[in-house]
Amino acid sequence: MYKFFIAIVIFALGAFLTMNSPANKAFITNQGEDTVSIINLDTFQVEKRIKVGKKPLGITILKNKSIALVGNVESQDLSVIDLKKNVVIKTLALKATPLGLTHNKDETEIYVTDWFNSQIFVINSMNFEIIKKIPVGKTPSGIAFNEKYSFIVISNRDSNSVEIYTEKEMRLEKKIMVGKHPYGISSEGDYIYTANVYDDSITVINLTNWQTKEIKVGDHPYNVIKINDQLFVTNSLDDNISIIDTKTFTEILKIPTGETPENLWVDKKNNRLVISNWGSDSISIINLHDMKNIKEVKSGLQSRAFGDFILN
Amino acid sequence: MKKYLFLMITLLLSFQLFAHGPTPQKVQESVVINAPADKVWTMVKDFCNIHNWHPAVEKTTCEKKGEDTFRTLVLKSGETVYEKLRGVDDDLMKLKFEIVKSPNPFTDFNSYLIVTKGSTDNESTVQWTARFYRLYKLNPPIPEGQDDATAKAAAQAIVDSGLKGLKKTLEAN
Repeated sequence: MYKFFIAIVIFALGAFLTMNSPANKAFITNQGEDTVSIINLDTFQVEKRIKVGKKPLGITILKNKSIALVGNVESQDLSVIDLKKNVVIKTLALKATPLGLTHNKDETEIYVTDWFNSQIFVINSMNFEIIKKIPVGKTPSGIAFNEKYSFIVISNRDSNSVEIYTEKEMRLEKKIMVGKHPYGISSEGDYIYTANVYDDSITVINLTNWQTKEIKVGDHPYNVIKINDQLFVTNSLDDNISIIDTKTFTEILKIPTGETPENLWVDKKNNRLVISNWGSDSISIINLHDMKNIKEVKSGLQSRAFGDFILN
Repeated sequence: MKKYLFLMITLLLSFQLFAHGPTPQKVQESVVINAPADKVWTMVKDFCNIHNWHPAVEKTTCEKKGEDTFRTLVLKSGETVYEKLRGVDDDLMKLKFEIVKSPNPFTDFNSYLIVTKGSTDNESTVQWTARFYRLYKLNPPIPEGQDDATAKAAAQAIVDSGLKGLKKTLEAN
């Protein structure tokens, strides 16, 4: 009788822990089917597909506020997803085409690049009101937040530039010319990294002295992120990623992916790289210990996930 | 005055030659051909002789600009298409190219053909994949003829007729 009681307690505890285990999920925007797939990165299961607006592309996750924002380029609105219930709780009409999304460190503000009107929306994350609109370079695409300097950095695709804005006043700190057609962008510490799609290269910008360095990678690179001492770049038309050593700034390895890899982010919990493959409607998961492909998971039609798409 | 205006608009549009909107489109089709893979690959990789198998092409002229190879296709319709070779991989039996300039209702057309061995020695599969964008780059409303559907239909026609022609040509010999 006593043993039975213990078993029940253990079972209940186990069930409780499983239900409340820390989330480790990828939120993949599927531009070909107007959904966001929630993929459990421990079990590789697609847990849910949430219907969002038309032709979703960009995403940013506000972990502490338990929300994610998705930009829908054709319906010209943002979908706000409640990450506890995994449902859309609000749709914000923008009358503009949202491309890249990011947020500041304390998650009070969300920044969205307005592709055709060449501006950035600054949105209040509590009431979702548009606080202000800042004019920027032509077709602002990727956007990222640098926590060290509290900078908002953007890539202006058609002006081949990167612009750096201060969080407090949204003042233009610096404009730097990069390669042709810069798209994905990321930033941490003293550096900004951007992918120059038409130059088959990436540009590294040093924030302490504004110097730049261009590194050749593969065909039509879409985005670049830094993990430890390496940069990872998606070569969208080569179906692989380039790995660059940041000590020597040279390419050291290429790893195959699915078709047309576009965006990438790190699964910190499992020390893996997750890549969205637009052409194969899937995500590739790569073990960072040995740089081997572990799994390819079908995520949805034309998976893009442009932004920080993992909730760890 | 009209001529001047037309020139201005053409010039304006030509600067946007390589810009596109935020939603890429895809066409991907396969065909099974009753011919050995290496014979199929020999024909597919021959960038300068596509008129031998694509029914829409009358003539192909290749030129080299530095390291790069370009081809001009004269179509049976009389129109011309200018394309750039982006890769030939003998191991993967994969040919990659992009359309630089054409009268088609799409932009940023990047494409590849892959040949794979079939279940027998005399069988192979050719898969043709294309990624491209509609003509209209700005905010909706989208003018007729510049939308996703028009772009997709045009790309589909190129791929479908090409694969059909490739099969016919290779199986005839």
